[in-house]
Amino acid sequence: MGRYIIRRLLWALVLLVLVIALTFAIFYLLPSADPAQLRAGRNATAQNIADIRHNLGLDKPVYVQFWDYLKAVVLHFDLGYSYQSDASVKSLILDRLPATVSLAAGAIVIWMLVGIPVGVISAVRRRSLLDRAAMTVALIGVSVPVFWLGLVLLYLFAADIGKFPLLPGANTYVPLTSDPVKWLTSLIMPWFVLAASSAAVYARLLRGSLIETMQEDYIRTARAKGLLERTVVMRHGLRSALTPLVTVMGLDIGVLLGGALLTETVFNVPGIGRLNYEAIVHSDYPIIQGTVLVAAIFIILANIAVDIVYAFLDPRVRYS
Amino acid sequence: MPGTVRIALGVGVAVVLAAALAACGSSKTTTSGAATANSNPANANNGAGGKRGGILKVVTNEDAQHLDPGLAYFTIDYEYTYATQRPLFSYKPNDQTNPVADLAAGPPQISADNKTVTVHIRPGVHFSPPVNREVTTADVAYAIERGFNPHVANPYIGVYYGNVVGADKANGGPLAGIKTPDKYTIVFSLTKPTGGLLAAAFVLPVSAPVPKEYAQKFDAHTPSDYGNYQVATGPYKLQSDASGKVIGIGYQPGKHITLVRNPNWSAATDYRPAYLDGVDWSIGVPPEIAGRQALTGTHIVDGDTPTATIVKLAYQRYRSQIFFSPGSGNRYVALNTQVPPFNNVNLRKAVFAAMNRKQMGTVRGGLLVATPATHFIYPGLSGFEEAGGIAGPGYDFTTSPTGNMAVATAYMKKAGYPSGRYTGAKPLVVVGSTGAPADQDAQIVNQTLQNLGFQTNLKLVDQSVMYGTFCGTPKLKVNVCPNVAWGRDFADPQTVLAPTFEGSAITQTNNQNWPQLNDPAINAAMEKAKLLNGTAARAQAWGKIDDMVTATAAAVPWSWDNQANVYSKDTMCVNALYNTGPCDFSFSSLK
Amino acid sequence: MSSQPPPLLEIEDLRVEFATDDGIVHAVDGVSYQVERGQTLGIVGESGSGKSVGAGTILGLTRASNASISGRILFEGRDLVAMPAHELRRVRGSEISMIFQDPLSSLHPFYRVGHQLVEAIRVHRDVTKAAARERVVELLGLVGIPDPKRRIDDYPHELSGGMRQRAMIAMALANEPKLLVADEPTTALDVTVQAQILGLMERLQRELGMAIILITHDLGVVAEMADDIAVMYAGRIVEVGPTLALFDAPQHPYTWGLLKSIPSLEHDPGDELIPIPGRPPSLIHRPTGCHFHPRCAYAQPAHARTDPSLAPVAGQPAHRVACLLDERARRAAWAALEAGEAPAASAALSTAEDGPG
Repeated sequence: MGRYIIRRLLWALVLLVLVIALTFAIFYLLPSADPAQLRAGRNATAQNIADIRHNLGLDKPVYVQFWDYLKAVVLHFDLGYSYQSDASVKSLILDRLPATVSLAAGAIVIWMLVGIPVGVISAVRRRSLLDRAAMTVALIGVSVPVFWLGLVLLYLFAADIGKFPLLPGANTYVPLTSDPVKWLTSLIMPWFVLAASSAAVYARLLRGSLIETMQEDYIRTARAKGLLERTVVMRHGLRSALTPLVTVMGLDIGVLLGGALLTETVFNVPGIGRLNYEAIVHSDYPIIQGTVLVAAIFIILANIAVDIVYAFLDPRVRYS
Repeated sequence: MPGTVRIALGVGVAVVLAAALAACGSSKTTTSGAATANSNPANANNGAGGKRGGILKVVTNEDAQHLDPGLAYFTIDYEYTYATQRPLFSYKPNDQTNPVADLAAGPPQISADNKTVTVHIRPGVHFSPPVNREVTTADVAYAIERGFNPHVANPYIGVYYGNVVGADKANGGPLAGIKTPDKYTIVFSLTKPTGGLLAAAFVLPVSAPVPKEYAQKFDAHTPSDYGNYQVATGPYKLQSDASGKVIGIGYQPGKHITLVRNPNWSAATDYRPAYLDGVDWSIGVPPEIAGRQALTGTHIVDGDTPTATIVKLAYQRYRSQIFFSPGSGNRYVALNTQVPPFNNVNLRKAVFAAMNRKQMGTVRGGLLVATPATHFIYPGLSGFEEAGGIAGPGYDFTTSPTGNMAVATAYMKKAGYPSGRYTGAKPLVVVGSTGAPADQDAQIVNQTLQNLGFQTNLKLVDQSVMYGTFCGTPKLKVNVCPNVAWGRDFADPQTVLAPTFEGSAITQTNNQNWPQLNDPAINAAMEKAKLLNGTAARAQAWGKIDDMVTATAAAVPWSWDNQANVYSKDTMCVNALYNTGPCDFSFSSLK
Repeated sequence: MSSQPPPLLEIEDLRVEFATDDGIVHAVDGVSYQVERGQTLGIVGESGSGKSVGAGTILGLTRASNASISGRILFEGRDLVAMPAHELRRVRGSEISMIFQDPLSSLHPFYRVGHQLVEAIRVHRDVTKAAARERVVELLGLVGIPDPKRRIDDYPHELSGGMRQRAMIAMALANEPKLLVADEPTTALDVTVQAQILGLMERLQRELGMAIILITHDLGVVAEMADDIAVMYAGRIVEVGPTLALFDAPQHPYTWGLLKSIPSLEHDPGDELIPIPGRPPSLIHRPTGCHFHPRCAYAQPAHARTDPSLAPVAGQPAHRVACLLDERARRAAWAALEAGEAPAASAALSTAEDGPG
């Protein structure tokens, strides 16, 4: 197991270098606005632009830029400085991370709190009215655009612009450390919006998985033993039915920690997703590279975590 | 002169609103409603008598572009820059045409030969902590010199300060042409008689003082990060720690800007009333939300351009909370005069005549936000009246805002197309911007061209790519750029006409003379006009040049923008007309 | 009969139907039989004959929203069909236990074997975990798992097939049931292991005195163990009787088919094994008349119209058969088969139905 993890981590490093290279290539090969020109603004002379290009190090050959970047990342985990604000990218990402983590964590809790019971009830009461209602709601949850749902919730419930001003609206996020109550209330709507589609996906996945599991021979055995039906479903059925979800969920968590752009945007939660998006708009390459790298790290770590958790969940899986 | 402009504007706004109501087709609104919007108190006064205290909340989607006063050059940058920095001169919020002395103690003194400009500054102006000391003219000199520093790379310094003696070799060090005979006097010596323009340009924030001993170490950084450690001279400052660090404190990129009172500011030295205790500015708010928060919230202003939905909502339900700031820039369709077919003036005139400019404005949100333009010097610039005012120069191809096909056909014939339709086979390259309403305007232009018989190849790209890659690169030979726009640097009309229509302004990259107009007569007239001194003389000369440019039909002006701004009911928003109308933090107050 | 105590299990006219999208599946169609205490009943039939469904129904495992169950299953006089689910649950695994065909899939792959056995004990008995564990070690020893103290913490996949089935049996015996329902307990196992498991079951039955219902498709398996044998076809019992009688004078052509289709030591290796032609019928659209007639070499046109019912063989009230052939014809046909002749008059039919597929 230990050796397996080390091997995975080494492979992850290779992947990360590839990610850096790919981001680099995309940034340089695909047409995007010239960051120096964007910084210079109108009226700028060719000299201005050349100066700025030099200031940003963009006048060096691409391979030198790539090498410099790689060196800085590997040696000091130095992600460079934003073209836009000249702030250190590492500090910007660290600054944004708590919001993204808060958003992701809450959303995941809601996925589980909503998705799992709904999935279980739908599977157990298959074809009942409850199942049909839940699956219809789930279908809506999956289909509804995040941005639209966010706006609707804000127009309905936001304290400032809502018809029924119940919850803090957009732009009210505060860090957990500065005011836990405000942190919680300000994130309720974003959590629900972010969780809506995923909870629906998970409910449907779990329903399918559990229905399948409940056909298994060992479920029949559990019943034949005289176990309570609740025990059969929860301890024998759910335990197995959840395992395939772990894979999906692990990846989703990785992706989420890379930033939930739409939710972050509509509620103005200052997370990684928005940082990345704004950087793309402004051709702020160091931030793009930094956020992509961080997202990649999360996704890779999530992948490894999934494998490890899987081994714990399913004793048949062994890594050597 | 200024009086005329203002009356003309008043009429303009009334016409605009009346027409807008008709355009909206709303049966409930009446012309008296228009009167309400027009008599907006924010427009009528400068905010005098506002209540003191309180924090104004600002919401924007956009982030600041440049924190450094030596680089600030953007509406959002100006919102905090003019509240925290004191250039030599500046505009009061309700008069975007006549600058007033700010750090300066009185009007600039321009020598008879127009080659020397002297400015005295007020004593008793102090930098915010940690610098604290009194501002001297050496700080102004350094501020301008550092504009030439490649680490700063101010984009407009060469345009306005380029004739200062020694500027041609400037790289951030002292300039021979800037002398500070005493702590309160600064003298600019010029190689050419362009003192009039220089004096007018003192309103740009690069003339706001920067303390050399403090800023030097930041300016040595590549690029300079003085913006992240700046000190203030205005009534407010970006919140900072004791060392002066702003980044991560008063400015959190993409998240927040916090303005607090500058403890070293003295009201006695300033014309700004500065009622507010501070500004709490959230960045990244989605435009729809920002607009609604401003309209329905308390003490909130939307610092961005509101969306069309918000403008409509505000206009219908919160009429007293929206202000259309006149003179917010022009918009035009650029026709490439260097390559066929639009090297033919008559074809250009035909396109001009055929264009339904009013419809293009309607797409943008109607006459409230887009006055159909007839020429390029827009309301609020000196020279607007001289260039023909609202009616414009009155050429047959400019007079009908909805287009005149008869005139267009006549010019097509003159151009050698007897059928009135273009017969060339090569399609025109038309490059517009994505996103409403720009894409719709590009479609209208495209349709107009097709109506005249042109084959077209319409490309819609991101605005930055449209400017940066396509329309700004002459060798790509884009024929038509339907979505270009320009805003002034200050009230002098040269700032609108020279960068955009002067032959020498054509550059191979980042070109801003989009029609690539290189007309010897116009070039010569500009050369002469640049050297003039005195607002009236310059207005006269540039007004004439505007007429000449319009006559070439190198570009089809279709909008003089009236930028919409929305804010909360309990906010006494004093709209900064010089900056397209966001609330001026130094004049606005809470009710 | 009336003076004797009631049998341990008495099933009367049991019917199990499932509503599916394709139609109603008549899985069990009017089955009746009895099991006496300490006795073994073998139920034999092809897959799809309803034997497993019927057995599962005893424990209520076929109860579902789309299932319709009628008839009576009297277990010590209590009707398990009518019994509420919560009461039936108490019977399951304590008074009646069940083991299944594939021990690997029948054990939960994520839980240790010991854990699954402890669970089976503790659901019916109020004992501590430690006590239950001790009992599990004992049980594992009883079913012949070596080193049970160590094996108790193995996962199912760490045990061999035979060991797994032993563990399943241990689980079934955990609460000393009066009836063990074994549904194809040896099918998934190697031949040598099969014999061991059957031997184990016989031994345990002797030691514990429980009754067994042994369900299999293989007459050979039940031959040694069962006191009585019921042959099921298409949801019905087509022949039932004491094992000896049934082997000695089988009455139903289907039974003959089953007997002829198994290799047996008693048969001359030169004898040809004769598979039953055709496939088991659909339980949704069952053949008319005698359900077996499409596959029956002795079928006559009338057999497609008349549905036979179980009737005692002359002179043997315990041996009953549901066949439309008259007894003499049956005796003659069986004698011919025993002599090694091919089934009469069936060549065309069997090739047509058996086909190349």
